[in-house]
Amino acid sequence: MPSSFRKKGLLSLALSFLFSVSALPFSLQHSSADTLSHAQTAVEPVSHGLPATFMILPFIILLIMIATGPLFYKHFWEKHYPKVAVFLGLVVVVYYLAVLKDSHSVLHTLAEYISFIALLSSLFVASGGILIRVDREATPLFNIIFLLVAAVFSNIIGTTGASMLLIRPYIKMNRERLSPYHIIFFIFVVSNVGGALTPIGDPPLFLGFLAGVPFFWVIDNVWYIWIPALILLLTVFYFFEKFNKKEVDTSELTGKIEFKGLKNLIYLAIVIVAVFVDPAVIPWIPSLSPLPFGFREIIMFAVVYLSFKNADQEALKANEFDFEPIKEVAYLFVGIFATMIPALQLIAHEANILGKELSQGVFYWSTGALSSVLDNTPTYMNFLSAAMGKYSLDVTNKMHVIQFVSLDNVYLRAISVAAVFFGAMTYIGNGPNFMVKSISERAGIEMPSFFSYIVKYSIPVLLPIFAVIWLIFFR
Amino acid sequence: MISVSNALKQKLYGLHYKNRLILPFKAHFLKVIVNTEIITDFSPGSKGIYLKEDETFTDVYFYDYADLKSIVKKFDAIKLIVVEKDRNVFNFDNHMKLALYLEDKHYLKIEKVDEDILFVD
Repeated sequence: MPSSFRKKGLLSLALSFLFSVSALPFSLQHSSADTLSHAQTAVEPVSHGLPATFMILPFIILLIMIATGPLFYKHFWEKHYPKVAVFLGLVVVVYYLAVLKDSHSVLHTLAEYISFIALLSSLFVASGGILIRVDREATPLFNIIFLLVAAVFSNIIGTTGASMLLIRPYIKMNRERLSPYHIIFFIFVVSNVGGALTPIGDPPLFLGFLAGVPFFWVIDNVWYIWIPALILLLTVFYFFEKFNKKEVDTSELTGKIEFKGLKNLIYLAIVIVAVFVDPAVIPWIPSLSPLPFGFREIIMFAVVYLSFKNADQEALKANEFDFEPIKEVAYLFVGIFATMIPALQLIAHEANILGKELSQGVFYWSTGALSSVLDNTPTYMNFLSAAMGKYSLDVTNKMHVIQFVSLDNVYLRAISVAAVFFGAMTYIGNGPNFMVKSISERAGIEMPSFFSYIVKYSIPVLLPIFAVIWLIFFR
Repeated sequence: MISVSNALKQKLYGLHYKNRLILPFKAHFLKVIVNTEIITDFSPGSKGIYLKEDETFTDVYFYDYADLKSIVKKFDAIKLIVVEKDRNVFNFDNHMKLALYLEDKHYLKIEKVDEDILFVD
């Protein structure tokens, strides 16, 4: 496909996202992601009206407030962000229920949100009760090895689990020469890019797995992109490290690594196993539909309660365990999930119309751009749906998904890579980003603002790397 | 005047009332962390914090929080970096990291920051 056409497609998608979709209601073939908590692998087609374009305003307002609040009206924002997020979310919910008479989209999003927060909170609480004592100082080489191992680890316990478990020892090891870039690269590598190899790594890949993408498809098809991406990221990180001239006295350090609260590893294991407790994976698991959650979420919330109740008190104290970071994520994302319903539906609509004309590059950049600020899970499913539309296949049909995977890997690869990688572009691109930021600030590290993060790190570091990946693999 | 070291040695408690802390020592303050807020401006015009030294204690007022108890929870602490009054602030070895835990009946437990707790100078 000529590049001008690709650009046109991308532009068209971006414009339609922001401005150009008609406000007139017409039938929408629902293609957004189905909930992790539901038995089905994707939503059954539902016909209802498209939202008016202006209904993406609450989402844009929320994004702007998340970005500007901590900068320009910090104390108002700290005090009132829960009310702001809930209020903007309610505006959209009331619009869907009262104007569009569409309770399906609201319930569907509620189910997604419950799944999201169940997974995040269970990993957060279970890992918060594990203390890793590291009595050594990191060197640039050690940091690189640590981040690489952590990246692999994030495919086993998820980016959230790995982030929560490893951010504290990482900060401790670097305490004498710590700079914000240490944390930013941790977010890039461990909280996002690292988790691109398995469906456990990041929620969109898991949703793809539930939809019918074979478990090992991801590692088979993404490893050769994952490796150069990490090499590039860690090379840039190495140069940051080279210019960090802070000297460290290591004479009193023993080099020992100790663990406390290891029983919480059992709870972490339960959460990972619970991820598969879904009627779509294990047919004899009963669905709790029409409830907006399933047995998986019940298990995860039970882990929240039990792992906190039985946690090692010394580990909790040393980790300064506090529910505030997860509370912040819970409130902000309740607003984000609700306000992004219209945005995602409009994107899904446009993606399905344009699907046949879109190249892999457009899928890569569009999925990436939207995953930077939207939840990457429904974004992934919407673009998967659009890509399958090229072959007249339906994402709600598991056999179709399997057929699609065998027909053409390239679109799914572009979507999978972009959905995971681009989550690192902003603090709100992926759940763990915010938590890592919050933990770091409590440790006294002055983290860059929302804009600084993008301008100082995402654009100069991530974008060129993502462009190289596009040039090599998706052009 | 009670030094920070003496207060720690004697395991003295401070007090907390809503947005006010009363610390049983006097010191040079370099950094205070409440929740995710890092305060380093202790000048008289500072909008976030006000320090007032009395003969035997130091008052700390946090303007942005009506009640510290509502934001500093059970395992959480207000963290300080301070230097003894008679010590050289330019020597990092003199920087003392303290954790303040809000306890019941207005007691404020003061501890040297545990090595396990993340606290970057």
